[in-house]
Amino acid sequence: MADQASDFIKDDFIRNYQALAQQSWDAWARQMQQPQQPAQNPFFTPATTATAGNETLERTLAGLKGYFDWMQGVAAGSSTPPGGDWQQQLQQLFGGAGQPFAQAFGGIDSTGAEGFARQWQTWMQAAQQHPGFGDLAGAQGAASGPTPAFGQNREQQMQQQDMAAAILASMQASARYQTLIQRANSHGMERLQDKLAQHAEPGRQIESIKGLYDLWIDAAEEAYAEIALSNEFREVYGDMVNTQMRVRQLQLKQTEKICQELGVPTRSEVSSLGERLQAMRRELAALKHQLAASQSSAATAGKTSAAKATAKPPASAVKKSVATVAMSPRKVAVRKSTVGKANVKSSAAVSKPRSKPVTHVSPRKRK
Amino acid sequence: MYTPLRIDPTKAMGDIASFQRKLAAGMTNLRGMQEPEYANTPRELVYSEDKLNVWHFKGEGKPTSKTPLLIVYALVNTVWMTDLQADRSMVRNLLEQGEDVYLIDWGYPDGADRWLTLDDYINGYLDRCVDVVRERHGLDAINMLGICQGGAFSLCYTALHRDKVRNLITMVTPVDFHTPDNMLSHWCRNLNVDQFVDAMGNIPAGLMNYVYLTLKPMRLNQQKYIGMVDILDNPTELENFLRMERWIFDSPDQAGEAFRQFIKDFYQDNKLIKGTLEIGGKRVDLGMLTQPVLNIFAEQDHLVPPDASRALGRHVGTTDYTQLAFKGGHIGIYVSGRAQREVPPAIHQWLSARD
Repeated sequence: MADQASDFIKDDFIRNYQALAQQSWDAWARQMQQPQQPAQNPFFTPATTATAGNETLERTLAGLKGYFDWMQGVAAGSSTPPGGDWQQQLQQLFGGAGQPFAQAFGGIDSTGAEGFARQWQTWMQAAQQHPGFGDLAGAQGAASGPTPAFGQNREQQMQQQDMAAAILASMQASARYQTLIQRANSHGMERLQDKLAQHAEPGRQIESIKGLYDLWIDAAEEAYAEIALSNEFREVYGDMVNTQMRVRQLQLKQTEKICQELGVPTRSEVSSLGERLQAMRRELAALKHQLAASQSSAATAGKTSAAKATAKPPASAVKKSVATVAMSPRKVAVRKSTVGKANVKSSAAVSKPRSKPVTHVSPRKRK
Repeated sequence: MYTPLRIDPTKAMGDIASFQRKLAAGMTNLRGMQEPEYANTPRELVYSEDKLNVWHFKGEGKPTSKTPLLIVYALVNTVWMTDLQADRSMVRNLLEQGEDVYLIDWGYPDGADRWLTLDDYINGYLDRCVDVVRERHGLDAINMLGICQGGAFSLCYTALHRDKVRNLITMVTPVDFHTPDNMLSHWCRNLNVDQFVDAMGNIPAGLMNYVYLTLKPMRLNQQKYIGMVDILDNPTELENFLRMERWIFDSPDQAGEAFRQFIKDFYQDNKLIKGTLEIGGKRVDLGMLTQPVLNIFAEQDHLVPPDASRALGRHVGTTDYTQLAFKGGHIGIYVSGRAQREVPPAIHQWLSARD
């Protein structure tokens, strides 16, 4: 069977097939590279997204291509004679950097770090081109240790030093994170070997490429979950995010400084207005609630006075009447206070034109 | 001695050729394919405030249930998971059972919503939605179905507004946030949430999605798409796949302040079960929750581990507590074939006995 396979691989048919396959991939790539929705960068919105727009699809395509290449590798490797070193074969199939496993972790799991790196590079370019950002190159040097700043540009210098130190800390945290991901990768391989060893008997052998792949995924996820639930990961993950957020805070601070100089409203100012507005809305709602409650109390008092003015009913009737009154204010309160006049109006206004059942609604468009 | 791999090279090449054929067919099928619609079960807008809408769903027949059911979804992702596609719609299924279904669609928060707190969501928006439904039906109390984070909101709401909820159902709802298998919670613990929210403002949906994908990076980023190749030559299956993709990635940002509070109080400090949680200055005491409770969780849930949900039974004060374990995952509980057969009928049956 091995010779047969070997001949098969060498055959012109395979070469032609591979050429056709490549054409197919190229066609897919063209299809995927048509304008797509911009990909979301996990931690930052990239300043330049001209090429990043297809990131998700490119990654998907790369994953499929990686899988396809890997399948061919498995097919070629399956010509190993029975009794051969299957563990070595496994290393060849799963160990290379270009294999799907590596791509998945490298291309997906480190996206946060990649996004950050891209943001950092963009920031560096902007800093070098825009005088308002100061001498970031000098500040980079300061990352090796704080240098006292003085003179007219003291504040600016201090900010640059903070930024450089924050970037450095963030890159270090991301590197620690990547180390753990690599560890998960290698543990995944070990687990796969263990799992495969359980299949080394007649009737339990893996007979399809997909079967091998699925086993590999199981092993990789188990290894990853073990690392991801460790205390070390928790600490490193937190550190990675916290240091990235520190950089972002400093970026915002510097950007706002420039905006202030240009007379452009800053995000902090807008956010501050939003905070005050929300506080006022809460106060207004509370006042409306109080007003409605006092109105309903007055109405209840009026009803009670009117009831007292009438002839004295029998004892059983009094009991019933009290129970009715006790229910009544709450219902009034519901109508007048908690729902609120504005909301009732809004409800009616909105529901009227939509009295017919809605059959097609695109929430995003309503945004 | 046997090797564990017994892959026939000829068959392997056949598999590769099949993979390639499906890819080629997929290119044809994908080209010009419209974005799949959700089920869009007929519905009427009955209340609107800021970004929020309350929908009243219309079944083919009149509801047999006397008490309406308000679905309170999570702030993360969109509510349309409950009405994903015609043959996989929890809402439609509940209508067919005879329930009178309302749904809160929280919408897509933007910068104007940055300062919304949990108090604003629970004692503000949610309370007004409940009042609207009560008002429409002339009832003091309605039934509530809280989903995931919406379940946590429903628990808080019911504890704070006991008279307005008649029966409470929670689905895949985290209650104990510190179970050892809760990966999300584990990752949150060392997060400086104040700095995070101060730096980000509202939390972008893309970031939330990224975090969810990294819970199972190999399955969700790769294996899923390799599996997709198998259905590329099947337009119906492909449409279903793309619909789910739409739901996964078309998600709202999170209002910064509410996010800060939720992560701190629930994920980091686990205050809900400690009895130290305060919403709008009032303590949330699950022990005060005395109405009937049906708690449904998924046994293979990687987002809300079963133990995180099971904890509810130990903390609620009700004597009428029912627990339902579903064999499936966090999403499958709404859209799988098994879910259609098991979940809405179980909800209806439980509610009917208490209507």
